[in-house]
Amino acid sequence: MGFFHQLALESLGPVQVLLTRASSSVVALKDDYVALWYVREENKRLLNIIDKHKQDLDEYREAYTRNRNLESELGFKRSADFPPLTARVVGKDPSFWFQTLVVDRGRSDGVVVGMVARTSQGVAGQVIQVSKNYSKILLANAPSSAIDAIIQKNRVRGVLKGAGETGYQLHYVLKNSDVTVGDRVVTAGVGGMFPSGVPLGVVAAVRSQSRGMFLEVDVTPAVDFERLEVLFINLGEQQKIDEELGAGERKGE
Amino acid sequence: MMAMLVFFVLAFFFMAIQTTLFQFFPAWLGGPDLVFILVVFVAYRFDWLGGLVLVVFCGWMMDIASGLYLGTYPVVYLFVFALLKLLAANSPLREGLYQIPMVGISYFVVQLLFYGFFVVIQPEALPEWNWAQVVRETFILLVASIPCFLALNSLFEVLSRRRFVSKILIRRSGNRFR
Repeated sequence: MGFFHQLALESLGPVQVLLTRASSSVVALKDDYVALWYVREENKRLLNIIDKHKQDLDEYREAYTRNRNLESELGFKRSADFPPLTARVVGKDPSFWFQTLVVDRGRSDGVVVGMVARTSQGVAGQVIQVSKNYSKILLANAPSSAIDAIIQKNRVRGVLKGAGETGYQLHYVLKNSDVTVGDRVVTAGVGGMFPSGVPLGVVAAVRSQSRGMFLEVDVTPAVDFERLEVLFINLGEQQKIDEELGAGERKGE
Repeated sequence: MMAMLVFFVLAFFFMAIQTTLFQFFPAWLGGPDLVFILVVFVAYRFDWLGGLVLVVFCGWMMDIASGLYLGTYPVVYLFVFALLKLLAANSPLREGLYQIPMVGISYFVVQLLFYGFFVVIQPEALPEWNWAQVVRETFILLVASIPCFLALNSLFEVLSRRRFVSKILIRRSGNRFR
């Protein structure tokens, strides 16, 4: 390379360096500031997309949970050892004194007073009033409800009474009975109204007072009474109820 | 008559709403007893005969929808109606200022009497008394009764203004210059 070429290159070089450094600063300024002008809108757009996806996810979760529950109920219905009539809960008692609900099955579907309502989790209640297309059911956790029950592990007998929103209490269990928290409580099958072995709940607390001969046993219901949507009414008891009603009428005569 | 018919239908829908939609509310929130609010409103605004018919209808419908012992709700609502009618007759309790508090007080008193009655007659028929729950329900009812009373008042005034008077029966005075 000749002398003048070298001189030109040496003169141009520093200017190029200066301009390159200056333009780098400008580009950095642009990247850090000007480009960010649109970041706010982009952020809003992305947040909206996330919100929509969250909403969709919530809906899918709800649909999945509902599907699982309905599958469970359908599986119970298919494997039930009684003729189940599916009934949807359409109304619930608004006060906390009475535990009742209304279902969309009635006399036209073969429902009569006294029939037992169950879910896949256990006993839900009993039919107390019937019209042509609707029935009122007294829930098993109503204080006026009483079911013969046994502790599954050792067959200790008692009477399971409803305690409203707190669940059940198992009465008439002697103090020398072996009852512990976690024991499963099932129907005794005495009296014929409820078949034996149907889950009722799990012992939640056992207390022994100084007075009296019975334990105070709290039972957590197997059925979630706050989330009842579908029940199965046992139509197989129709004949038994008819026979009992007929026997009652014959006695009256 | 029109007001009675409309309030009949309203009672029906109130009962349907509180036995269906309110069940989806969270347990701690509960649901205000709209039919009770309607009964108190009827006690304030309707006459004895019309109010009695309405109140018995409300109680009868509640018995069917959620009562366990038939006749419970009609008796309770009749008691509330009669008590408020007697208290509000020729007394400051009739004023609008006292109407909302009377809703809460009457509801609370009714719960006490209701529970006390069953404790004597059939102690095992009801769950244990729960002060927190009763106070919470009373408070929720008080809050809900404010917009309900405003709406019911407006509705009642609109219905009361619609009087279908036969023109044939209107007496005309001889004053031509009126």
